[in-house]
Amino acid sequence: MAQTETHKSEPVHGDRIHLPAPTHWPIILAFGCTMAAAGLVTSLWVSVFGAVLMLTGCVGWFRQVLPHESHEDVPVVVQTVTITSTRRLVERLKIAPEHRAHLPLETYPVLSGIKGGIAGGIAMIFPALIYGLIVQHSIWYPVNLLGGAGVANWSHVTTAQIASFHWSWLVIAIVIHGVTCLLVGLLYGAMLPMLPRHPVILGGVLGPLLWTGLLHSTMGIINPTLDARIQWGWFVVSQVIFGVVAGLVVAREGKIRTGGRLPFVARMGIEAPGLMESNLEAGPPRAQQPRNEEKH
Amino acid sequence: MSAIPVTPVTQEWTLPSRGRVGMLSLIIGECGIFTIFVVAYIYYIGKSLSGPTPQQVLDIPLFNTICLLSSSVTIWLAERQIERGKIKAFAALWALTMGLGIEFIIGTALEWHKLIYLDGLTVRTNLFGTTFYALVGLHATHVVIGLIGLGLILLFTLTGHVSEQHTERIQVFALYWHFVDAVWVVVFTVVYIVGR
Amino acid sequence: MADQTLPIGGSLDITPERSERQTLLEWLQAWVVTVDHKRLGILYVVYSIFFLLVAGAEALCIRIQLMIPNNHFVSPETYNELFTMHGTTMVFLVGMPILFGFGNYLVPLMIGARDMAFPRLNAFSFWLTAFGGLLLYYSFIGGFGLYGMGAAPDVGWFAYAPLTTKPFSVGHATDYWALALIVSGFGTLGTAINIIATTLSMRCKGMTLLRMPLFVWLMLVVSALTLITITPLTAAQVMLLIDRYLGGHFFDAQAGGSAIIWIHFFWIFGHPEVYVLVLPVFGVASEIIPVFSRKAIFGYPAMVAASAGIAFVSLGVWAHHMFTVGMTSVGNTFFVLSTMLVGIPTGIKIFNWLATIWGGKVQFRVPMMFCVAFLFQFLIAGLTGIMLSVAPWDWQLHNSYFVIAHFHYVLVGAIIFNIFAAIYYWFPKVTGKMLSETLGKWHFWLFFIGFHMTFDTMHFVGLLGMPRSIYTYEANRGWNHLNMIVSIGAFIQGIAVLVFAFNMMHSLRKGKEAGNDPWDAWTLEWSTPSPPPEYNFATDPEVYSRRPLWDIKHPDDPDWKYE
Repeated sequence: MAQTETHKSEPVHGDRIHLPAPTHWPIILAFGCTMAAAGLVTSLWVSVFGAVLMLTGCVGWFRQVLPHESHEDVPVVVQTVTITSTRRLVERLKIAPEHRAHLPLETYPVLSGIKGGIAGGIAMIFPALIYGLIVQHSIWYPVNLLGGAGVANWSHVTTAQIASFHWSWLVIAIVIHGVTCLLVGLLYGAMLPMLPRHPVILGGVLGPLLWTGLLHSTMGIINPTLDARIQWGWFVVSQVIFGVVAGLVVAREGKIRTGGRLPFVARMGIEAPGLMESNLEAGPPRAQQPRNEEKH
Repeated sequence: MSAIPVTPVTQEWTLPSRGRVGMLSLIIGECGIFTIFVVAYIYYIGKSLSGPTPQQVLDIPLFNTICLLSSSVTIWLAERQIERGKIKAFAALWALTMGLGIEFIIGTALEWHKLIYLDGLTVRTNLFGTTFYALVGLHATHVVIGLIGLGLILLFTLTGHVSEQHTERIQVFALYWHFVDAVWVVVFTVVYIVGR
Repeated sequence: MADQTLPIGGSLDITPERSERQTLLEWLQAWVVTVDHKRLGILYVVYSIFFLLVAGAEALCIRIQLMIPNNHFVSPETYNELFTMHGTTMVFLVGMPILFGFGNYLVPLMIGARDMAFPRLNAFSFWLTAFGGLLLYYSFIGGFGLYGMGAAPDVGWFAYAPLTTKPFSVGHATDYWALALIVSGFGTLGTAINIIATTLSMRCKGMTLLRMPLFVWLMLVVSALTLITITPLTAAQVMLLIDRYLGGHFFDAQAGGSAIIWIHFFWIFGHPEVYVLVLPVFGVASEIIPVFSRKAIFGYPAMVAASAGIAFVSLGVWAHHMFTVGMTSVGNTFFVLSTMLVGIPTGIKIFNWLATIWGGKVQFRVPMMFCVAFLFQFLIAGLTGIMLSVAPWDWQLHNSYFVIAHFHYVLVGAIIFNIFAAIYYWFPKVTGKMLSETLGKWHFWLFFIGFHMTFDTMHFVGLLGMPRSIYTYEANRGWNHLNMIVSIGAFIQGIAVLVFAFNMMHSLRKGKEAGNDPWDAWTLEWSTPSPPPEYNFATDPEVYSRRPLWDIKHPDDPDWKYE
């Protein structure tokens, strides 16, 4: 059934509408501006002519709008306009249940990953220090190794120097260690929804292996001297301890619900008529009802 | 379900004033012009091949600056007077604003006169001259345009054509004047503090 | 019977009736003094189409010159003027005015307003733009320079220093370039301010920001971008004039000035300018594709966010035009990455258009054909853009025909195609007559084939090492056949544009009556008679959803249920 109902127009100002009156001042002012500019490439008199036109244009324009903007009344001729469509059939897109990705309904919050990163970072210090004591007989060795990565004269340094204590290298190492642990923790937290059931396996095994693999393959390019001094066995051990501690901390945190139960479009903040359920509560026609009743 | 609150039809439909929106847009555009001139000035600080340098010839125009900045306060007070319909107080404050603006222009003219005839600094002299006159001149041009506007409104006020209902137009114009003052803070900082 | 939410008051447009009894002079006078946004919009579009033909003719001259090696169709001096004027005209006198013309005509209609926020400023802006263009072209005959001869600007549309300094550019050609663009630039600024104020302050009841048609959104974003884009150019041109007239040293390397800083200033304007041109046609596509797919636009908020995102990112990519000037590696890296970043919001847009078409009942009418071609071509343009954003690749191909091919893929393949789509789509609203569908299909296919012959081939000439802006070339470079194909393609495009021009004139007199809503569309402009009366809407409309006309056409299934 086609809707052919049309509204009688009810002009606000009776049968006339105020519109700004046509005026020739804008074109005169514009021509004046152009002439004033053109004078620079032709002759000073053209600029003078342009300036006179500009002045005239400004005065004329002001007289049009001050104190009141001039209007003209345009008579309204009522004409019915039919707004209708021959396409009456509306089809909604159908989405089969298998089109929905299976996302976890519960996961750990990202913040817990950061907490895990901090805890793991603290725990990781111990295997590193033990390595320093056992292999190099100095707890400062791993600290300086990390801190020295950021120091310029690193290439001329001896093992004895690395084993001794340096304030600057200690500070740099703490900064590097702290920032890295926070960032790795953040990354860990962001990856948690991918493997939500086993945070300890993700953090304790998968993470360290990926991280070590990445560093092992790239450290030779990033910092060759550091690469030569890293003992990768000990490196993996401390990484795993970091990961396990971080994983345990995360596992102790409670899970939160994901938006998995909501439709995809809602989670994306997208409104797509047809893909979303209709909401009869919303919508303006509440205020329309009285008008409706008037008619019937 | 929706991220947009549905506007109830019964609520009044209010929109921002077109004058204000237009003036703010113009100000944003003007900021683009000033940014380029300021960047050019900063880029060319100390790159002049010959003298005179800013250290040798520039004096800090403190009195001028105080005058221009206080004109922003007086125009704000004037806006408040017209809001309340006190036309005479408005006219007085408006004239004061204009006087402060004129003082600024006279100050700049005197400064330029000294620079040109005493120190021999012109646009051609060196990069400092080029960038200085361009940037300060651009600002002075805006002050002059503002003064013309101020003068016209003062004229209309004195001939009794301005009343309370023109508040909005006057406030829109005042926005421009505030902008001119604000830009001076930037120009002043760059030219007389950073550049010296 | 459900209530209709939109009070539609149609009316007879009294202006055409009056015109029958008008003399030619009166008719002309009515157009000159008009402050009506629809008439000004038409003036903008007609003015731009005129210059499109002029600049197109210049392009054809360039292509004749390059068709065969060692050609002397034009002199080297004329050749420089031709490519400078072609670029300047297409960007400043065709691209921007035509898109602001569409904006002028459509924005008030789409948001249910009677006119622009500042009607007189609107007229002033148009005439500034128009006179600026005429001043630029006056240089051909009146640019009496030092040697007393006419000279058009010949420094490239980017007018790099030191070519523009007094010793290298004698006479007034460069001054014409700067002055004309300053004049038309202020016109553009005025229009941008006007469109912002109109969209923010003149919306009809219920037209919240997130219910505005996407075209209006895009025009709002573009106008905001124009404010901070065109002004740096104006500032830089004022500096250039200070150098040339007052003896300043901004770009004078002899006195410590820098030519590089001009390049920076120019591209701070120049790159966002490309987005100023392309964003409105995104709006056009976002209006046409849903209507001819018979579906609502997919991901409206994402489209709005992506538009704003493109505008924002575009402000920080200008120096990718300058990889070869020798920036630091940090600078290069920054501009490589920021340029690649543009790919994200544009990708969102392309996927949203595809998702809109997906599952729809697509009708391949002429506007839709142009839009679909736009989707493919814009994708390729984006991909070559990402290739060129990689600094080493750009070092190899900088200023080659590969770059020319890339940006013509955007400017023609995306922008001109969508401008044609827009003209086919809104012509019925503006004139009340339909454009001929048959001629339209001829136009489309000729233009499509010509476009791909020209600009696909250009990529290869560029890869083979042909630099841009060269007057001619030796026969042994291996570019001969490719250049011939490029030129033939250009002529096929020229023929297509003539078909289009004929279609417009023919349909204007003998076209089918359009009625108020020939496409069964959903935005407010289709609720007025065609052409709309001077006051647009006899009563102020009121809307409840993004598709007000859908709500009226489907009272049992309105959109507001889903918002």
